[in-house]
Amino acid sequence: MSLFTPRRIGQMSPGGSLITYLLLLAWAAFVIFPIYWLVITSFKSISDVNAGPVYLPFIDFQPSLHAWKDLLIEDWDDTRRAYVNSIIIALCSTGLSVLVGSMAAYALVRVTYAPRFSTILLFVLSLGGALAASLAYGVDWRLAGAVAVAIFVLAVRGLGNRFAATLGNGDILFWMISQRILAPVVVVVPIYMMFQSVGLLDTRTAIIVTYAVINLPIVVWLMFDFFNSIPRDLEESAQLDGATMFTVFREVVLPLSKPGLAATTLLVMILAWNEYLLALFLSTADAQTMPILVAAMNAGERGILWWTMSAVIVVMILPVLVLAIVLQRFISKGILVGAVKG
Amino acid sequence: MMEAKRVEIRSMDKHYGAFHAVKDLTLTVEPGEFLVLLGPSGCGKSTALRMIAGLEEITGGALILGGRDVTHVLPKYRDIAMVFQSYALYPHKTVAENIGFPLKIAGASVADQQAAVLDAATQVHLEQLLDRYPRELSGGQRQRVALARAIIRRPALFLMDEPLSNLDAKLRGAMRAELKRMQKDLGVTTIYVTHDQIEAMTLAHRVAIMRDGVLQQLGTPKEVYRDPANIFVAGFMGSPPMNFVTGTALRQAIRVGDHDVPLAGLSVRDGREISVGFRPEDAALCDPAEATLTAEVFIAEMTGDETLVTLVGPHEDHLIVRADPDLQIDDGERVGIRVDPDRRYYFDAETGARLRPDGTG
Amino acid sequence: MSDLTSESAAQRDAILPARSRGDRLNEWLDRNSRHIFLWPAVLLILVFSIFPLVASAVIAFARIRLQAGGYRVRFVGWQNFEKQIFGSEQFHFLGTFGPVSVLGWVFGLAVTAGVIWWIVAYLRSGWTVIGTVGRLFPWGLVLLLGWLLAVTTLSGRPFGTLLTTYFYVLVGCGIQFLIGMGLAFLCSRAIRGRNVFRVLFFLPLMITPIGIGYTFRMMEDTSKGPFAPVWQWAGLGDFSWATDPWAARMFIIIADSWQWIPFVFIMLLAAFENVPRDFNEAAQMDGASEWQIFREITWPQILPVAATVMLIRVIEAFKIVDLPNIMTSGGPGIATESMSLHALFAWRSLDLGQASAVAYLLLVVTVITCVSFFNLVVLKRVRT
Repeated sequence: MSLFTPRRIGQMSPGGSLITYLLLLAWAAFVIFPIYWLVITSFKSISDVNAGPVYLPFIDFQPSLHAWKDLLIEDWDDTRRAYVNSIIIALCSTGLSVLVGSMAAYALVRVTYAPRFSTILLFVLSLGGALAASLAYGVDWRLAGAVAVAIFVLAVRGLGNRFAATLGNGDILFWMISQRILAPVVVVVPIYMMFQSVGLLDTRTAIIVTYAVINLPIVVWLMFDFFNSIPRDLEESAQLDGATMFTVFREVVLPLSKPGLAATTLLVMILAWNEYLLALFLSTADAQTMPILVAAMNAGERGILWWTMSAVIVVMILPVLVLAIVLQRFISKGILVGAVKG
Repeated sequence: MMEAKRVEIRSMDKHYGAFHAVKDLTLTVEPGEFLVLLGPSGCGKSTALRMIAGLEEITGGALILGGRDVTHVLPKYRDIAMVFQSYALYPHKTVAENIGFPLKIAGASVADQQAAVLDAATQVHLEQLLDRYPRELSGGQRQRVALARAIIRRPALFLMDEPLSNLDAKLRGAMRAELKRMQKDLGVTTIYVTHDQIEAMTLAHRVAIMRDGVLQQLGTPKEVYRDPANIFVAGFMGSPPMNFVTGTALRQAIRVGDHDVPLAGLSVRDGREISVGFRPEDAALCDPAEATLTAEVFIAEMTGDETLVTLVGPHEDHLIVRADPDLQIDDGERVGIRVDPDRRYYFDAETGARLRPDGTG
Repeated sequence: MSDLTSESAAQRDAILPARSRGDRLNEWLDRNSRHIFLWPAVLLILVFSIFPLVASAVIAFARIRLQAGGYRVRFVGWQNFEKQIFGSEQFHFLGTFGPVSVLGWVFGLAVTAGVIWWIVAYLRSGWTVIGTVGRLFPWGLVLLLGWLLAVTTLSGRPFGTLLTTYFYVLVGCGIQFLIGMGLAFLCSRAIRGRNVFRVLFFLPLMITPIGIGYTFRMMEDTSKGPFAPVWQWAGLGDFSWATDPWAARMFIIIADSWQWIPFVFIMLLAAFENVPRDFNEAAQMDGASEWQIFREITWPQILPVAATVMLIRVIEAFKIVDLPNIMTSGGPGIATESMSLHALFAWRSLDLGQASAVAYLLLVVTVITCVSFFNLVVLKRVRT
């Protein structure tokens, strides 16, 4: 190319291009290296880890399978239990939250709701009253609950029509999405006490339900945006043909939102797989998930067994990496960005 | 086939909060009739159609379908099929699945569905394309799928919301003819919404013209064209549209530029503002001396079988006159226009109401 | 879809007599579908989010003893909060107050002046009652945080979990935004192999924070980690990240950034790619430089996305708990303890009242910060 040939529009100068590559490669190294280190550590012998850093398998050190043997043979029961728990919990909580969340999102897109402001206020007041009564004055919680419900119903009947201020779909949507702002520590103590009082502590059910609720705002938010972009005509046409809301949802809306559903499902599943704090509260042994198993390895009296720890972490992140590559394709198609724009 | 039904719309109203979209609409569609709701965008015609379909709540009045009050009945119980402007084809279903969807919802057996789909597809010449997806079809073919899906259920009433507006001009003409023929063969009562007055003229048994939510005139295409109820209908129907010149009434004539246009048989009090309307084909160019009006040629356009001459009238308004295709005329030339005295329409310039010779001024 | 589902049942029954029980059930489902679609989500949120939120508020005003077969609850009013803000836990939550140093005074007064300037600028630009009341919260928060910083760190004393949390949020999110946007910008240019970079750069976001915590502990070990030779060469072989407060905090920010930069990156990359090429090309025809194109064309286009992405990031950043818990256990001392971790530790010592009080304080500052950010940045940017 001669000096005087103008560059094509959008083309970079050779220098700019070199710098771009160097920066990107540097970041790639920063991203890859910890993962690489994790993997090779899981194949190191104890002395190789303790003696100081060695970097290249077969050159610096002889790989050994002892950590994997510990994990997959000696402690197989613990590993398998946590792995199975994690899989079941991730699948079920994702299923629950995608189902419930997308139904709610669809309803908020297509049906007009107008909840009364006064009703909501009364509800919160009676709830607070019941709680205060049962906690502070030792009133039996069933009694307090029943009285609160009675007061709530009577008050709504009596006052409902006086204060006609209503909220709209946008408010419900905001209310649901804003639940995401709650840090788990804010709600986890009462959730713990609730599950304790019904004897569901350390069960998968408790964790499944809790995860489903924690991830519900994400589902509602992303799916609302998706459903909103479906042409209304399609649903109205089906409605005229005699389809119920359920049929429209199943036959028209869901098939048309497959990419969004897939992306949302993957995202929620990965979040559920990785969650730590709530599982820490809600599980002690039987319902332990992978993150808890990993954290528990720190508790040995010999300090952290880095080789085994690395192997567990590798086992834990392997399925997620596969999911992540799939999810990344959806995101790069701009599927989740639409929601962020609005 | 189901028997065609009568549709009675009684004082139907639609409010969106403070906005009054449809005002006191009353009309009756006879069994088997093809009625066109015509008007500019935002006139409430689509809203009216959607209320008949049940997609919008009817906030006042009543809707009687085949003798049954369906004002508050869910759309699915109204036995109505609708063709949408966008066709509303399900992109994830094949042509056959799209056409058969209403039967699937109704719970028909697979064999029945297949037979009916083939039958409907044959009627619209789609039988070769049943396994395609909508995205693989041309605009005209999509239109046919939408039609087939509407006819497969043998509904009591067809609703069509600007079904031809997404087609190119040539295809639109062809589909129009097919649509008319199909409606005639099926004999289903049809309400058709459009903003295109040519579609309305060619398709309709009767045309209902709406503006700002109010029904302006209901009549056969010929009636609304030849005998418009007001200046809006007169100006809306016809292409090119009717010409209007406005002037002040004085001694049974109105003064327009240098000319007095006589108000034949119309008694109007002096000083009242009157608009005189005439259609391009009811006027001719002539010598200024014997003209009804004089004007200056703005531009002449030869369209093939005629020449449309646009002129600048006495009030700087454009007037269009149809002339012979061989006409030779220069821009800027001053010419006369002679208007057929029997084909003049008089309107109150303020209210737009038609003034008829036997009416009281 | 219309709202006709709520109409009178009698009218419809007259039209369509129900045939079988199955039909009746379907009919009932259909008629109530507007409720059936929404209520499961509402109920789940009410039971597992709103109820615990209210219960947590109640607990925050109580002292709870777990005992065999239940709890013993005693209401103590504002005592839990008082203890955190004025009492024996003040050092933990707010920090240790020292005599204010010169630097502290300068900084505190500078922050005060900044807030006053902000107030005046707002009042001049045409104020409303709601706008003013709404802005009282961010004004107060900035003043509080500024002076807190002035009387603790800038006066040579350690600060508490509140400022630590803000350190993670502000510094962490700032770094993540800048690097994430830089990478997205580089990756959005026409280069070969960007899909490989895209997949690669996305991965850390998906890895569990627990795994990241332990991995980074290995990485940053100065005697056995991969960079041990570097540390020894620099004469820092005996140095430990975990014993110096600021080093420990940076240590956590590095791990946090490793995980979250991909989030900023992937969202902004999609935003960059959504900017129509025409704009870019038109600007190049007009002779704009690369910087001008970015400043004048690309940046305004991606701003709405960038603001929302950062809002999400900030919301999540306030919840940070896994990394400090795994990497430093909050130490040295309380130097790396976030408010979530603070509440977790209180819960571990079975002090549920304190745990709830800290959690509630966290909720309050999160809400004030995020709502202010939303109103003052996200909405404003979207509007203009």
